Amino acid sequence: MTTTMLAETPATYSPPKQFRLSGLGLLRSEWTKFWSLRSSWIVMVCAAAFGAGIGIALAFDYAADADTGGEAAEAQMGLSALDVMFGFGMSAVFIAVLGVLFISGEYTTGSIRSTMSAAPKRTGVLWAKTAVFGTIVLAVYAALLLATFFVTQLIMADTPAGGVGLGDTGVFRVLSGYVVTTVYLGLLGLALGAILRNSAGSISFYIGAIMVLPMLMVQLPWQWVRDIAPYTPGNVPNTLTMPDTAGAQLSLGQSWAWMGVWMVVSFGLAAVLLKRRDV
Amino acid sequence: MGRVPCGRSVGGMIEIEHLTKRYGKKTAVDDLSFTVKPGVVTGFLGPNGAGKSTTMRAIVGLDAPTAGTVRVNGRRYNQFRSPMTEVGALLEAKSVHAGRSAYKHLLALAHTHSIPKRRVREVIDTVGLSDVAGKRVGGFSLGMGQRLGIAVALLGDPAVLILDEPVNGLDPDGVRWIRQLLKSLAAEGRTVFLSSHLMSELSQTADHLVVIGQGKLLADTTVDDFVNGRSGEKVKVVSPDAAALAERLQGPGIAISSPKTGVLEIQGTEAAVVGTTAAAHGLVLHELSIQRASLEDVFMELTADVVEYQQTRKEGVAA
Ligand SMILES: Nc1ncnc2c1ncn2[C@@H]1O[C@H](COP(=O)(O)OP(=O)(O)O)[C@@H](O)[C@H]1O
Ligand SMILES: [Mg+2]
Repeated sequence: MTTTMLAETPATYSPPKQFRLSGLGLLRSEWTKFWSLRSSWIVMVCAAAFGAGIGIALAFDYAADADTGGEAAEAQMGLSALDVMFGFGMSAVFIAVLGVLFISGEYTTGSIRSTMSAAPKRTGVLWAKTAVFGTIVLAVYAALLLATFFVTQLIMADTPAGGVGLGDTGVFRVLSGYVVTTVYLGLLGLALGAILRNSAGSISFYIGAIMVLPMLMVQLPWQWVRDIAPYTPGNVPNTLTMPDTAGAQLSLGQSWAWMGVWMVVSFGLAAVLLKRRDV
Repeated sequence: MGRVPCGRSVGGMIEIEHLTKRYGKKTAVDDLSFTVKPGVVTGFLGPNGAGKSTTMRAIVGLDAPTAGTVRVNGRRYNQFRSPMTEVGALLEAKSVHAGRSAYKHLLALAHTHSIPKRRVREVIDTVGLSDVAGKRVGGFSLGMGQRLGIAVALLGDPAVLILDEPVNGLDPDGVRWIRQLLKSLAAEGRTVFLSSHLMSELSQTADHLVVIGQGKLLADTTVDDFVNGRSGEKVKVVSPDAAALAERLQGPGIAISSPKTGVLEIQGTEAAVVGTTAAAHGLVLHELSIQRASLEDVFMELTADVVEYQQTRKEGVAA
């Protein structure tokens, strides 16, 4: 009986054994996806130009004022060498938008279907995206901050703000604070994109709820609203980039802890929804 | 948990059992059960909105069933160690980021399973996109998007191929090409499952048919049986004595119609019986032939009650 069954069976096909889904494979896949989009490059260059550009322009401005020894220089005596970096705080919005697009772009184009058919456990894709995006932002911003610091120091060499080294108190902490803040906000954008799955919606939400709302909250007449404002996702990293943390609403430790809380909350929600929802 | 070497499931078989999928109040698939076997091309036929795409998304685990199970090779899709070698799917044309090149899109997917660049080049050649592989997908036509989708499905050299309306947007050359391709893939022992809302697209490609309407199974049969077993054959007679012949042929289970004078179409009997009857009564015949209902006719008849969007159906037929 078995023989007749076998005889009637047409060619049986067995798929290749050497192709295997792996975590490393997912990382390589997301790496390729990130760099194969022109928009990634454009947004990265914009963010860099914005942060470094403002820093360098401020440094030149400061050096020129110091030369003439005018009133402006007097007024700026309080400006420390690190204040010229503040453009990097503003450039983080580019990175957050990039984080949103890195995942929401897959939903709006429909490529998420092939992505999730290739990795049906789904969450592996989210972690791979997070790792790849976080690492890229970390590396690019670390290089950018260091380069901008040295260039601005060169420009301001003959001014009171010059002559500052990486080893001086607070310098390395503030520089790395900008890097960490940017990575944090970028990842917040990524989680948001995974939760809302819609580019325009996620970007609007980021600008409205993460950037603008905390600023509005401190203007409102209710004390309790003002009290919780420092703990909102967009505000918790603020202490990291302050040269002087004495007057900060959150201590450095609290700042880190709250960033951790918001990462766990946002990525936890993103992962649960990713598992439960239809693609 | 281990694989059963001699289990019920043949390698590459798709087994759908009591699959139900609801989106809110809308029931897209309603207690659907069927299996798709390897070695043949199985067509998945149904009017627009019948639930074909939903069923296919459920097979690759993108949409979770509201009830019932879907198994490939005896397992749930998300249990596969290397899903791309088990099932390759084309679910929607051009579901690729417009800013990415075809090559990079395929490469990114290939990386997940450590599939080498050589294989990426190979599938690009197979689907005929070599000249445009480096171009941004945004500029692709629908047909090129379909070809890219087919390349994605083939990338892992999978045992099962699931293609949702793969013929849409392809030019006649492309249609011929994909028919050949699917037949040869099935001949290698793979499972090939493709959907269409047009019978004519499947009649020349598929060996087996699964027909659904409003999420329910209407037929699960071979293409030949589908045509013969449904409205069956008609015997056509052209005769100057048509009226007399009709009288002699009448009987239980026999339906005779006369589309015009001198012509009869008889259902429920055979040509031999008609010829013998005519000879026995000395009636002249000018033509005696067997009329097979076209597949499209049979499909229309079958789905007439369950067509959700009359308008869509008419457009579909006209196309
Ligand atoms: N994600 C969804 N949300 C709501 N309704 C859906 C969704 N997907 C499909 N449907 C509905 O389910 C039915 C079946 O759709 P579909 O599977 O796309 O049919 P087909 O592919 O046969 O044309 C349709 O009425 C469709 O509107
Ligand atoms: Mg469909």
